[in-house]
Amino acid sequence: MFGLIGHSTSFKDARQKAMDLGYDHIAEGDLDVWCSAPPQLVEHVQVVSAIGKTIEGAYIDSCFVPEMLSRFKTARRKVLNAMELAQKKGISITALGGFTSIIFENFNLLQHRQVRNTTLSWERFTTGNTHTAWVICRQLEINAPKLGIDLKKAKVAVIGATGDIGSAVCRWMSQRTGVSELLLVARQHQPLKDLQQDLQGGRILSLEEALPEADAVVWVASLPKNLEIDKSNLRKPCLMIDGGYPKNLDMKFSGSGIHVLKGGIVEFFTDIGWNMMAIAEMEIPQRQMFACFAEAMLLEFENCHTNFSWGRNNITLEKMDFIGEASLKHGFSVLGLQKDLQAAFA
Amino acid sequence: MPTLESTGVAINNDLGVNLPDFSSEEYKDAYSRINAIVIEGEKEAHGNYLAIGTLIPDKAEELKKLAVMELKHMKGFTACGRNLGVKADMPFAEKFFLPLHGNFQKAFKEQNLTTCFLIQAILIEAFAISAYHVYIRVADPFARKITENVVKDEYLHLNYGQEWLKANLSTCKEDLMKANKENLPLIKSMLDQVADDAESLDMDKEELMEEFMIAYQDSLMEIGLDTREIARMALAALV
Repeated sequence: MFGLIGHSTSFKDARQKAMDLGYDHIAEGDLDVWCSAPPQLVEHVQVVSAIGKTIEGAYIDSCFVPEMLSRFKTARRKVLNAMELAQKKGISITALGGFTSIIFENFNLLQHRQVRNTTLSWERFTTGNTHTAWVICRQLEINAPKLGIDLKKAKVAVIGATGDIGSAVCRWMSQRTGVSELLLVARQHQPLKDLQQDLQGGRILSLEEALPEADAVVWVASLPKNLEIDKSNLRKPCLMIDGGYPKNLDMKFSGSGIHVLKGGIVEFFTDIGWNMMAIAEMEIPQRQMFACFAEAMLLEFENCHTNFSWGRNNITLEKMDFIGEASLKHGFSVLGLQKDLQAAFA
Repeated sequence: MPTLESTGVAINNDLGVNLPDFSSEEYKDAYSRINAIVIEGEKEAHGNYLAIGTLIPDKAEELKKLAVMELKHMKGFTACGRNLGVKADMPFAEKFFLPLHGNFQKAFKEQNLTTCFLIQAILIEAFAISAYHVYIRVADPFARKITENVVKDEYLHLNYGQEWLKANLSTCKEDLMKANKENLPLIKSMLDQVADDAESLDMDKEELMEEFMIAYQDSLMEIGLDTREIARMALAALV
């Protein structure tokens, strides 16, 4: 069985969702109530892949909402309790969706392996980052040409280049896609220098320097809150892949030759009978989902019960090949630019 | 009476948590009430299991064993208080348990086993287990050891009640819902009453509530209630 640990995108959404599911009491509760609410296994689902393989899965809502991010202890508990629930339910491989893996990484939860009577087995969990990285790369490779961007001649900026997903994207771009030049942007300088050496290429720039030069931008870092960008300075056309969480690039950049694509999202070939993706505000919730969630499904389809994506900078091109191949085989495709938008450009 | 020396600095346990100053007056004052609650809780549990045994004579021996374990726990926690040089405030604890104790006594007189089991073996045990889990993370080394062993026993007790309710679910469901409605709010208000003292022991009210909800939900799940029934029963306590 595969598992997905997710959460609502806001407190308001969470309450609405709880109401819809018939959890009236908690729906009416304030944020303090939600902070004390235990994780809930809200849905079981059966999925049949494009080659006819059937798997079972479950969706666990951690009852975390982004409003809890400032409450360190609460956020930590929400993640660990949801992971414990997944393990107690005997789920073989569970993806940590949304803020779950971010909290796990940033709050260093590796040292909190013991949750009550349960010793968490890390091999039962995956961040799903390998699939996310592969999907982002394919989104760029497929959609850039549609906008008339020739990647062999293009400069591609990766914002958050030194992160787990960012560094994997950089490796793929330089070795597989063969982009003309990689523009590497991240907060800390030393990891950037290490990455540059590892890649044997790429130019280290600040965000302000990189954006006007880039034909395509991959965002895998959260957007700085007060970032002001003069859109007139950007190249046109410019393809922006919004691979961060939450996805908020669209309102900042979209329009006049700048095309924003939701990054790290896949679409299944057929409807899945679940309600869970409505929480994540997918446009087609019966088919679309975060690539990290899909990774847990793929690992289950492939009987590959390991923590496939785990820790930082462990994503190799071989692993991306493996998960990418499985993705296509079982019926996933990467989210593309909207058809009307492409038509308008053509 | 031996007490821990004041270290003046926070001790770090192996969970990477800063431990409170066990010798401070504030800590000891709060501990006098929390410790008393735990001692009283174990004492009443002993009495309650013996009482339930009189209602099911063929299980009386098993229940007596559980009761004896509770007495052992009581002694262990009494030692925890002594170790810190704290005198447990027993009158406070007796008053604290009075409403729940009254409900148990009423159910016992009516020979209502469902309510007796729900109050003692599910609600009180889940409350104890969750509080002990939170306490273990911030307890002094002596109390931590004692509490870790107690938790293992309490799971057995929770399990005993679960098994009985599970076996009788078809006939006792309505009673169970009713008993939940009457007694779960008491647990919530008991938690509210000790929230400040618990805070002095570095135990968050929010965390205590969440731990209780997890233990209680798990227990209701084991008994055989479905997710919606559990949501209706358990989450009601939160609001």
